[in-house]
Amino acid sequence: MERSQTRKSTLPYLLILPTLFFVAIFTIWPTINSFYMSFFRQRLNLARFREPAFVGIENFVNLFSDPRFIQVLKNTIIYVIGTVPLAIFLAFVFAFLVNQRIRGVGLSRLSFFHPSILPMVSAATIWMFFLTPDYGIFNEALHFLGYRGPQNWTANPDLALISIMIVALWKNAGYYMIFYLAGMQNLPTEVFEAATLDGASTWQKLRYITFPLLRGTTLFITTIAIIGAFQTVDQIFVLTQGGPSGASTTLLYYLWQVRFEFQDVGKASAITVVLIVLLLSFTVTNFVLSERGRE
Amino acid sequence: MRTRKRFLVVMVIMLIILSLALVACGTGEEPVVEEPAAEEPAAEEPAAEEPVVEEPSEPVTIEFFYPVAVDAPIATIIQGYIDEFQVENPHITVEAVFSGGYGDVQTAIMTAIDGGAEPPAMGVMLATALYDLINADAISPVSPSDEYLADVFPAFLDNSRYDGKIWSVPFQRSAVVMYYNADLFAEAGIEPPDSWDSWAAAAQALTVHDGAEVTRWGIEYPSGWPYWLFQPLAIGSGQNIVGESDTEVFFDDPDVIEAVQFYIDLSAEYGAMPAGVQGIWGQAPTDLATGLTAMIVHSTGSLTGLLDQVDFELGVMPIPGQAAGTFASVPGGGNIYIMKGAPEEKQAAAWLFAEFLTEAERVADFSIQTGYIASLNSSYETDAMKAYLAEVPQAADTKNALQYAGAELMVQNLGEVRNIFHDYLQRAYNGEMTPEEAMAAAQTEAEAALEIFK
Repeated sequence: MERSQTRKSTLPYLLILPTLFFVAIFTIWPTINSFYMSFFRQRLNLARFREPAFVGIENFVNLFSDPRFIQVLKNTIIYVIGTVPLAIFLAFVFAFLVNQRIRGVGLSRLSFFHPSILPMVSAATIWMFFLTPDYGIFNEALHFLGYRGPQNWTANPDLALISIMIVALWKNAGYYMIFYLAGMQNLPTEVFEAATLDGASTWQKLRYITFPLLRGTTLFITTIAIIGAFQTVDQIFVLTQGGPSGASTTLLYYLWQVRFEFQDVGKASAITVVLIVLLLSFTVTNFVLSERGRE
Repeated sequence: MRTRKRFLVVMVIMLIILSLALVACGTGEEPVVEEPAAEEPAAEEPAAEEPVVEEPSEPVTIEFFYPVAVDAPIATIIQGYIDEFQVENPHITVEAVFSGGYGDVQTAIMTAIDGGAEPPAMGVMLATALYDLINADAISPVSPSDEYLADVFPAFLDNSRYDGKIWSVPFQRSAVVMYYNADLFAEAGIEPPDSWDSWAAAAQALTVHDGAEVTRWGIEYPSGWPYWLFQPLAIGSGQNIVGESDTEVFFDDPDVIEAVQFYIDLSAEYGAMPAGVQGIWGQAPTDLATGLTAMIVHSTGSLTGLLDQVDFELGVMPIPGQAAGTFASVPGGGNIYIMKGAPEEKQAAAWLFAEFLTEAERVADFSIQTGYIASLNSSYETDAMKAYLAEVPQAADTKNALQYAGAELMVQNLGEVRNIFHDYLQRAYNGEMTPEEAMAAAQTEAEAALEIFK
C-alpha cells in the first residue's frame, strides 16, 4: 500500500473524481453560497426585499440577540451531548454482549439492530404510539416501574426534547453497534489468549485490550454520530413540530422553518453558517482529542 | 492482499457516506401532521361548455402538484378525474404529481421557481398561503364565472381575494367542528351544549374518575399545532385573532385572552380535559371512538374515519360560543392555484382543468369519497349527494358549521406570525405564563414581525 502511493498514477484521482464532482456541486458550492448570502437581506415573501441587499453582519447580530435562537442553540447542544456519548456507550455495550458465544445471540443482535433499518419517520411514528398519554406502551412500562410523573411527553416543555432524544438513541445505538461488532470480530484472538493466560479479568481485557484496539472504530462512530445528531430532524416533524413553544426546536429544524415557513433567505443562510461552524468545531475537537489520546 | 482489503474497506465507507448523504437529503420533508389543512373538496363551475374546447388546439402537457392530507385514496380519485378530463380534452395531458403535505407542495414549487425552472402549471396549496405566493409573484389571478361565485360558500372564498382579484378556487376544504358521543349525552340526560357554561358543565358531568385517575375525559382538545382549533374559541368569545387588514392581529384583545383562559379552565377549573398542551391530533378521534373521551374538537376531515370506527351515535356540531345560543367555527384546507411561471397555454389548460374539477357533480363526488366539505351549494342538490346525506346525516352538520365560521388566520409573513402565536399560546396552555402575559408578548412580537410588511 505504502509503496503504491509513491508511484505516480492518475488512477486514484480518476477514482475520486465522481465523488469530488458531487461534493463540489452539492456540498462545497452551497456552503460557499450560504456564507455569501448570510451577509444579505433577502425575504421571498416581501416584494421589496426579494432582491438581495447587502447588510453586513446584521443577520448574525439579529440571530444572537434573539432569545428564540439562543434557545435553539441550547436545545441543539443538549441534543448532541445527550445523544452522542450515550448512543456510543450503548452501542459498545450491545456489541460486547452480542459478541459472546451464547444461545439466542442472533435474536439479540437482530433486536438491537432492527430499529436502525427503519426510516426515522417510521421510527418516530412508532414512538408516537409508544409515547401516547395514558395507554402508550412506554407510559405503561414506566407506570409499572413506579413512574407517576407527566405522560404527555411530546407536549410537555420539560419532556419534549427528551422524547426526541429517546427516539434517536433507540434508533442509532443498534446501528453504531454493528461497527463495534465488526471491529471486535476482527481483533486478533492471540492477544486475548495471552491475556487470559496472564490471568486478566474480563473487565481488564475490555479496558486494556478491546477498547484501545477499537480506537479507530470509536473515532469513526463519534464522527458520524455527531454529524448525524446535527442532521436529524425527521422525528421532530413527526412528534413535536419543534414545540411546545420551541422547546424541541433544534438548529436544522429552525433552519427549515426560517427558510421555508418564514421565507427569510438571509437569516436562513446565517443559521447555515452557524450550523457548519458548530459541526466543524465538534468534529475537529473530536479528532484532536482522539489523536491526543493515542499518544 | 492487505491492499485489496483496505480498498474494500474504503469502498464500504464511501458507500455508507453516500447513503448517509442520501438519507440527509431526504430529511425535512415530513408534512406537518397537524396542518389544519386537510379536508374538503371544492368548487364546481358550470363552465364546461365553453368554446375553448373546440379550438384546434396544440397538444399541451401540464403538471398538477397535489398533497395528501387525509386518510383517503386521493391519488386514485384524482387520476380518475384526469382520465375523464382527457376524454373531453384529448389535446391536454395532465400529469398528477403527489408531492407530500401542503408545505411540501409549496416548497417544491417555490424551489423550482427560485432555481429558475418552469413551475408546474397548477398546484393545491393551503388557502392561507395566498400572501406568500402573491409576494413571491408566483401565482396568476383566476376568473371564475359569476354563476360559480354565486354558488360557492363565501367562507371558503375568504382566502382567495386580494387586490380586487380572485387568486385561487377552493378544492379540498374543511372546518373545525366538535364531535361528541351522543349516546353518553342521552344516558346522562344532557343536551348538546350551546354556550361555554353548558359546554363546561357537560364536559365535567361526562368525566369519569377511578380514584385519582381519569378513565374518561369530558373533552379532548388537541393543541400541538394550536392556532386553528383555538380560533373558534376566540370567535365565540367575540373577537377573532385576525381582522380585515393583512397586517393586523388581535392576540391581546381581552376577548381573546378570555378564550385562552376558558381553554385552561376546562382542565384547571372543571377537571374535564387533560392539562397543558395536548399533542394528540392523530389520536383524538380514536380516543372518542374507544370511549376515552366524550367530546373532541377536530377537523371535519376526520368524519369519514370516525364513522368507520364508532359503535355509538356520533354527533357533529359547531363549537359553542361564550353567550348562550352562539356558535363558532373556522374553515381550513387547500385551494387550487395557477402558477404564473408556466407558459400561458399551460396556464389556460390548467384553468380548464381547475374548472372541470370544480363542477358541482365532481365537487360532490370528491366530498363523498374523501370527507372534505363540498364547497358549492349546488353540489348539495346533486342526486349523489342527496343519497349520501340520507345515509350520513353528519355530513350535513359539517356543512352547517360553516355558517358560524370566521376567517382563518391569514396575514402577511404568516409563517413567522403563526409561529409566534403558537409559542405563546402553548406557554399559556402549559402554565409557563398567564394568558395576559402570553398574549401581550405574542402581540408585541407579531407586530414587530409585521412592521416591515405595512
